[in-house]
Amino acid sequence: MREVLALLRPRLLSFRNGGAAQNAGNRRIRYFLFALIGAGFWAGAFAIFYRVLIYFQGVEEFGDILARKLLSMVLVTFFTLLIFSSIITSLSKLYLSRDLILVHSLPVPRGRIFLARWLESAVDSSWMVVVFSLPVFLSYGIVYHAGPFFYLTAGMSLLSLCLIAAALSGLAVVTAAVLLPAGRIRTAAVFLGAVLILALIMSFRLLRPERLVNPEAFSTLIVYLRAMETPGSPLLPTTWAVDSLNAALAGLRGEALFHLALSWSCAAALAYIGVWTAAAIYFRGYSKAQTSSARPLALRIGSGGRRRRLFRRFAGPAWAFAAKEARVFFRDQTQWPQLFLIGGLIVIYLYNFSVLPLGGSPLRTIYLQNLFSFLNMGLAAFVLTAIAARFVYPAVSCEGDAFWIVRAAPISLKAFLWVKFAVYYLPLLVMAETLIVASNVLLEVAPFMMAVSAATVFLMVPGVVAMGVGFGAAYPDFRSENPAQSVTSFGGMMFMLLAAGFIALVIVLEAGPVYQVFMADFRGRSLTGLQWAWLGGSFALVVVLCVLAAILPMRFGERRLREQR
Amino acid sequence: MIELKNLTKRFGNTLAVDRLNLSVAKGEIFGFIGPNGAGKTTTIRMLAGVLAPSEGEVSVNGISMAAEPVAAKRSIGFIPDRPFLYEKLTGMEFMRFSADLYGVGDGSFRQKAGGLLARFSLHDWADELIEAYSHGMRQRLVIAAALLHDPRTIIVDEPMVGLDPAGIRLVKDLLREQARQGVTIFMSTHTLSIAEDLCDRIGVIHRGRLIATGTTGDLRGTALLAEGDLEEVFLRLTGQEGA
Repeated sequence: MREVLALLRPRLLSFRNGGAAQNAGNRRIRYFLFALIGAGFWAGAFAIFYRVLIYFQGVEEFGDILARKLLSMVLVTFFTLLIFSSIITSLSKLYLSRDLILVHSLPVPRGRIFLARWLESAVDSSWMVVVFSLPVFLSYGIVYHAGPFFYLTAGMSLLSLCLIAAALSGLAVVTAAVLLPAGRIRTAAVFLGAVLILALIMSFRLLRPERLVNPEAFSTLIVYLRAMETPGSPLLPTTWAVDSLNAALAGLRGEALFHLALSWSCAAALAYIGVWTAAAIYFRGYSKAQTSSARPLALRIGSGGRRRRLFRRFAGPAWAFAAKEARVFFRDQTQWPQLFLIGGLIVIYLYNFSVLPLGGSPLRTIYLQNLFSFLNMGLAAFVLTAIAARFVYPAVSCEGDAFWIVRAAPISLKAFLWVKFAVYYLPLLVMAETLIVASNVLLEVAPFMMAVSAATVFLMVPGVVAMGVGFGAAYPDFRSENPAQSVTSFGGMMFMLLAAGFIALVIVLEAGPVYQVFMADFRGRSLTGLQWAWLGGSFALVVVLCVLAAILPMRFGERRLREQR
Repeated sequence: MIELKNLTKRFGNTLAVDRLNLSVAKGEIFGFIGPNGAGKTTTIRMLAGVLAPSEGEVSVNGISMAAEPVAAKRSIGFIPDRPFLYEKLTGMEFMRFSADLYGVGDGSFRQKAGGLLARFSLHDWADELIEAYSHGMRQRLVIAAALLHDPRTIIVDEPMVGLDPAGIRLVKDLLREQARQGVTIFMSTHTLSIAEDLCDRIGVIHRGRLIATGTTGDLRGTALLAEGDLEEVFLRLTGQEGA
């Protein structure tokens, strides 16, 4: 055990020393912002669950069934999330981390190396699920007036679920890594995870839960739930957790402890089997992880000549970097599932507009259609910011250890950053305009709103992309194992806050004059001179703001990047 | 003492190391040279127990790496080419970490760690986070940590990369001193002058195969050269003379 603790110590010390790091100030701001967002999310989750449970309590006969079913669904969802998160984390911790060469050169038995890494992985993969599950249990405890025993049971049940998920994932990963290189398994897991998430969202969305406000549909749901009152499989860890929580809520301590014991004995047995299996086969898989296997899709060699002829006017270092950027992006298999996920989410985004129940509203439909269209501009720009945060912000950090090539290359940092801008600008513009035009077509908005939305998004995209590139260059993280995570850094938070502020400002500037134009048209009147001046001034300010947003962050990024040692 | 028997490593269809047989005696400094991609780092990693061979055996200080990896590793000081260090630990904390894992007792730790850090000019930096260290300082820290437990064999991949002239002199002196005390040293390097200056024997690996071993004089004979330094011998043996 001494060795396991020694292997865990660097992590604990790193955490403790984080406050003394060179960038401690930025780190504190980042933690504060995260804590703020987390607290908001936490409070929101508590409020929703509390209201739902209070509502359920008002439903005669079925209130408790609904609450129990909800608890069961929540725990199954948490358990699925835990399994998926554990697979990804344990692959990284056990096979892909950069410190593994050092760790494996140490005189520590492989089973203990596995145990230390597995414990680290279990904590990393489950802490967030645990933190965000607390409001759920708190709301159950308050609504059902539960005592401390319920909260203790909830904590212990959740902890055992985390250990079971981590042990199952660890076992699956250690076994799979003997057959396939770990990098390939991670890609497959991320891809399958993306498909799973997308399928869940799509199936939930296509069920159209908004129809449940219709009393007839709701009564059908009650009948359905009554039919589903049968308990879950007694072999599932989530069933043990649900049963122990229900028993604790009902004050049946003995029953609650029995189900807890089932859960904990399973966790302990799985952990033991995991360590025993790892002692036998973990190192074989680790050795295999250092092997690069054949690519699933062979590169097309020989097409370069034709491509060069096609793009010969774009020769030079800038073109070389642009071509490199595109190649690296598409050859990185971890990007594929995310592109797939974005595609799916865009389909759902548009689907939402096609099923908006505008007809049932007491407000005039034409008014609502155009109001939604206006708000949709902001929403599409926020979607654009989120995608830019994932792909554009880390673009400079992705250069990693190879950034010296940029420094040594016959290209200015300014040109290098504008190449990055150009590579991401076009696809993001196409995506944003597709979202706006397609959703406006589905909303059947007036031509004026269509023109305003398309033009505004056209002006905003360069600003958002430039902010992503600029702030990514100003706060690069060339040492990160996963540059995509750099968006959670101080610079990433600054980018998201400023981009959101920029979008909000553009929307606010346009809201007043657009409303005036729309109402004048609606009432069949023409605009007054003052209204024309307001319209012209606001739109001129929007143009100036968008130009500044496209230029200033790039300059800021270039200056900061030049000052980097 | 190091024994390699039919050591082979395949990466998919690529044969990185091909039936390597080698014996390095106690107190000997053995240099391992070869062109890029010849299999040096792969061999070093198998020697350090970081990579499993596809076939063959590694034995260090009479202990089989396959049968008793923990005992074998405990007797080794491994210095990788690109040292990964925990950025958020201080130099002294990293030394403590190494000491804990290699079983260096509390009684001797302070004195030994302090002495090594002082010798590598890191004493004033002992309580600074490693993220503030330069590349050369990190390299010095890794070497210091590798010596903490008095290893019987030192395995080192490109020891001089990133070191300043004073650091290179220090490491050369240190390796000689260790060898005199009976420590076996297996060193891979591209710096042929250092190999020639420091090593008792040199092995040349090319395309995964050990094509020659011996002193510079022996290698000159193998390359059928009447005179010339190790560079000329190396280029002749690896067929890169015209390169």
